[in-house]
Amino acid sequence: MDRSEKIGLGVALVGHVVLFGLLSVGFLDAPEPPKIQQQPIDVSLVPDVALEATAPQSTEAPAQSIAPDEGAPEDAAPPAPQEAEPEPKPDPVPPAPQPKPAPPKPAPKPQPAPEPAPKPQPKPKPAPPKPAAKPAPVAKPVVKPQPKPTKAPPTKSAPAKAAPAKAAPTKSAAKPSAAPAKTSATSGKTASASSAKPAKPSATKGSGSTAEAKTSRPRGSRLGDNFLKGLSADPSPSKSEAPKAAKLGAQAAANIGSAILRQVQPCANRQVTPGPGAERIRVTINLKLNRDGTLKSRPTISGHAGVDDDNRRYVDRVDDLAIATFVGCSPLRGLPDDLYDVQNGWSNFSLRYKLPG
Amino acid sequence: MNPVLTMDSATLSPIHLFLQADWVVKGVMIGLLLASIWTWALIVAFWRRIGKTRKGMTRFERDFWKAEDIDVFYKAEGESELPSARVFAAGVTEWRRSTAGGTIDKSGTRERLATTMGAAVAGEIDKLSDRLNVLATVGSVAPFVGLFGTVWGIMRSFTSIAAAQNTSLAVVAPGIAEALFATAIGLFAAIPAVIAYNRFSHGINRIEASLNRFADGFHTTLSRQLDGSR
Repeated sequence: MDRSEKIGLGVALVGHVVLFGLLSVGFLDAPEPPKIQQQPIDVSLVPDVALEATAPQSTEAPAQSIAPDEGAPEDAAPPAPQEAEPEPKPDPVPPAPQPKPAPPKPAPKPQPAPEPAPKPQPKPKPAPPKPAAKPAPVAKPVVKPQPKPTKAPPTKSAPAKAAPAKAAPTKSAAKPSAAPAKTSATSGKTASASSAKPAKPSATKGSGSTAEAKTSRPRGSRLGDNFLKGLSADPSPSKSEAPKAAKLGAQAAANIGSAILRQVQPCANRQVTPGPGAERIRVTINLKLNRDGTLKSRPTISGHAGVDDDNRRYVDRVDDLAIATFVGCSPLRGLPDDLYDVQNGWSNFSLRYKLPG
Repeated sequence: MNPVLTMDSATLSPIHLFLQADWVVKGVMIGLLLASIWTWALIVAFWRRIGKTRKGMTRFERDFWKAEDIDVFYKAEGESELPSARVFAAGVTEWRRSTAGGTIDKSGTRERLATTMGAAVAGEIDKLSDRLNVLATVGSVAPFVGLFGTVWGIMRSFTSIAAAQNTSLAVVAPGIAEALFATAIGLFAAIPAVIAYNRFSHGINRIEASLNRFADGFHTTLSRQLDGSR
């Protein structure tokens, strides 16, 4: 090592020491990153989560169908017979009346429609006069209101009427040999219909009795011709005085959920992520709350989502962290009191939670 | 400037990076640091040596061609350490030996003169270029050594990731930074070494060429003397 090498070694040593000394005292440090100015942003938080009815307002009652008022209802029974006599007589009356004037009387049948038998009366009377002429022309044995006519003459109103219906079969059988079943059916029907609604007669189309009935019947009810269209005559049955049950709707639930998450955020931020991928695990946590916002019991985990092979081993840890988060910030404030114990209320509230990050 | 040694991990403090490194990386860093020091020592030495040599050779040749009498000049400059002087001394010595006897073999003398002075030139160049190979070695190997340290350090960082089961940058970054520091030192040593090697080998080539020219010129002079003396 000659002199120049010794000099060189000395120079190199000094140079390195100086260089590393400068680096050590931060001579070449990267400049401090400029401080980021945080511009304040106006944030307005909605303080209360309001109770919202999630059901539609009560619906309007369907329109009623009201027939034109043709006059005040009247008792048809007494007058009917007399008036009816002339007109109705035609077809219906004739067949039945004659054969069974007296015999049918026995009105023991159950049918007892309360109705004041309007039909019976009309028929009975007409029967005697025209029966003879029309019987033949009228094809229908069914139509036979025979039973009624029979009754009418002897007794009078409702009770009597019921009986005739029953009796009819027997008579018919004896007389024209028409289908007894049918007759009875028809007669029964008419009876029941009439009993249900005084106005009905007009609707029934069965026999010639309709025509007569109309003339003699009371009118002006609320029922029109199309009363069977499914509309009820009851006045606005859909109106209910009872208050609608409050229900925690989806939107209110979401509001409460985010209100809760907002309040536990400080505790959530304190949790340390156990490992990569753990923040993808979303646990469904169930909170049982008192009305004052405290926990009634320790939160429970009811489900997981987002678990894959990478983060499966962190599931238990994430559960613990989630529970610790909610326990740590447990008195939850500002939850709407009116939604506490309603259906799906927040007394028992489930929400999804995941670790921050 | 802050006069206190900054030891937090966010700075580029070489001492901090060195202290927190793995021992393998530490060894690599120390070796590379020594190589860098040695490289710079050689650079300084070569700089001085080559510069002095070329200056001296220029002066010597100027004096030589101005000299009236070679014997006188030899007495004055024959003991110099300059390569030109060595070549000149070798030529003069051989000339004196060859012309000492009664009969002179002219062609044999010329050959001997050429061989002797050629050997002297080669010897001087050898001496000058001594340790230039160190620069070449450092220049080519230091990056790989530094890379080895980096790879080792990064492997260690990954194992620490696996151990901590945490990939946050705070866990990974220091290890990678200290590992990369090894490569930085390797490049720090290698770049000057490569530049210096190229520069100095070029300088030595020029010295060799000028020595050869001088030797040829002196040989021509002696050869003419050989003819003229007869």
